Amino acid sequence: MAEISSSNMVVETFKLTKIYQNRQIALNDVTLRLEPGCVLGLLGSNGAGKTTLLRLIIGLHRPTAGWAKVFGKFMTPNAAELRRRIGYIPTNPQFPRGMTPITYLDYMARLFGLPKDVRKPRLASLIRAVDLLRVSGDSIAGFSNGMTARLAVAASLINEPDLLIWDEPTHGLDPEARRSMLELIKTLSREKTLIVSSHNLSDIDEVCNHAAVLSHGQLIYCGSLQDLKGRMRRNHFELDLEGEQKAITKSTTAIRALPEFKVVTLKHRRLELYLQEEAVGAAALANVLMTLNDNKVTLVSIRSVGQQTEQAFLDLVEKEESRGFARIYQAEAA
Amino acid sequence: MDAIAEKKNPTFNRWLPYWAVFQADVRQTLRSWVYRFWVLLSVLATVGYLLYRFGGYHEGGIVQTASLHVSQLLRWIVLGSAAIVCVLTAGSITSERGTMADSVLSRGISRYQYFLGKWHARLATVLGTFLTLGIATLISALFLLHEDLSLDGSLVALAVVAALLATVITLGVTVSAVANSTVLGIAVLWSMLCVAGFLMSFLPPRYPSPDRTLERLPYILQGNYDLVGLAQFAGWSLLASGVAALFGLAYFSRRDV
Repeated sequence: MAEISSSNMVVETFKLTKIYQNRQIALNDVTLRLEPGCVLGLLGSNGAGKTTLLRLIIGLHRPTAGWAKVFGKFMTPNAAELRRRIGYIPTNPQFPRGMTPITYLDYMARLFGLPKDVRKPRLASLIRAVDLLRVSGDSIAGFSNGMTARLAVAASLINEPDLLIWDEPTHGLDPEARRSMLELIKTLSREKTLIVSSHNLSDIDEVCNHAAVLSHGQLIYCGSLQDLKGRMRRNHFELDLEGEQKAITKSTTAIRALPEFKVVTLKHRRLELYLQEEAVGAAALANVLMTLNDNKVTLVSIRSVGQQTEQAFLDLVEKEESRGFARIYQAEAA
Repeated sequence: MDAIAEKKNPTFNRWLPYWAVFQADVRQTLRSWVYRFWVLLSVLATVGYLLYRFGGYHEGGIVQTASLHVSQLLRWIVLGSAAIVCVLTAGSITSERGTMADSVLSRGISRYQYFLGKWHARLATVLGTFLTLGIATLISALFLLHEDLSLDGSLVALAVVAALLATVITLGVTVSAVANSTVLGIAVLWSMLCVAGFLMSFLPPRYPSPDRTLERLPYILQGNYDLVGLAQFAGWSLLASGVAALFGLAYFSRRDV
């Protein structure tokens, strides 16, 4: 990800592979490096290996092959001193029965070995910060999804970690709670390194500056989000037009004759254009604009269609799957 | 600058995670319906049995020797409630795998501390309950039945049964750390105990075995016991516990959760 020495990396994995009971290959040969201050969005469809990767990084699972280093040291199930610097939220956080937010956060803080004079003020501040003050003495069992998510956030911050690993933090949240969560991630990203896994690509687009894409357990992209978007094929455009309907229809017929476009459709005054694979976008659009000008049709707006990150992600996965046996050559995967 | 240094290097209490797991597990066990069912069943059975025997003595004038009846009660607690103790211990770790364990093991705790916390909590809860029930039974027997108990014999009997129970508990927690599901863990533990008990019954008389030791309980309670033989039995039980715990500890520290 950058030219930083290995010991300064927050997370580093090398040929990380996880095979469950010789039956399921969950992760295959994943090598990535995460430098301080990065906000990494982990993308992938269901079963792509996102949670497995996170569990390997945090030491809940042991790699079948390869290794994971956190803060320059090997992560193992017994590396408690490394996990003291990590805040983790699992996909569906579970809480012990009969606990209240106060007792739960106190329990979590004691699991980090925090003495009483440190943990008590900290848990009080966090309960206030995540807006659970009014229910701080109530049993967690009756909490809504939003409240449990906020409690999980507080638990992941109780040790003031340098690295946050949040597995689908917006999962099951209503729009308001989701918005708050994204704002919190943005705030935290100013001083911490984050790994956020999500199905929701717009979330990743909003809060992350780096992305890693997993497909069937293999890392098919790791780099900046901008680069990922740069790989996108921009081949679908929409143009809103104004002018006489007869002139618009005539322009559409002329545009259909252009070899750069494979599909041209007109719906009322909106023209949809799909470029051929090999066509150059700018040149093709220049021809369209000239045709419209010749027919005295006014262009109101022009836009590239589809969410950029989502499209880039889908393009990557599609490209990876179309490579067939060629995917064994790692050089091409990068 | 000092504040930053202080924030970056907070003091950690090394054994606090172990203690947190221990306390949480004791609280969780005391709240579980299995534990409450076990205590209720044991108390009702003990009270009912003692009152029945007391009635026989009080109304029929039949002499009821405390040593015989207390030994039977202790045997029942070990054998009769073994299934419940299996459920209590074999689910200690497996029941939390995948969900709750994530929330705990992803914090600043090592697998060793987690296993030790769980193991010691189950030992403390089950043995504490057994010893409380045992002492209450002995005191009740002193008042209600024909007293032929000796103090040292009673303490030795409780210690011997506690050593046996400690082995069962340790095996349970170890199986729980190794098995993938609670039901499988209970089945494996129960089979292990049955097979071990059956095989040990074939041991020559000079070797201590659980069934022979439990048969001698009435004499032990009267104060007639071979201290060396019983110490040997307790020693073997504790050794088996130690070996099982070490295996569980080593296995759990290397497995996925």
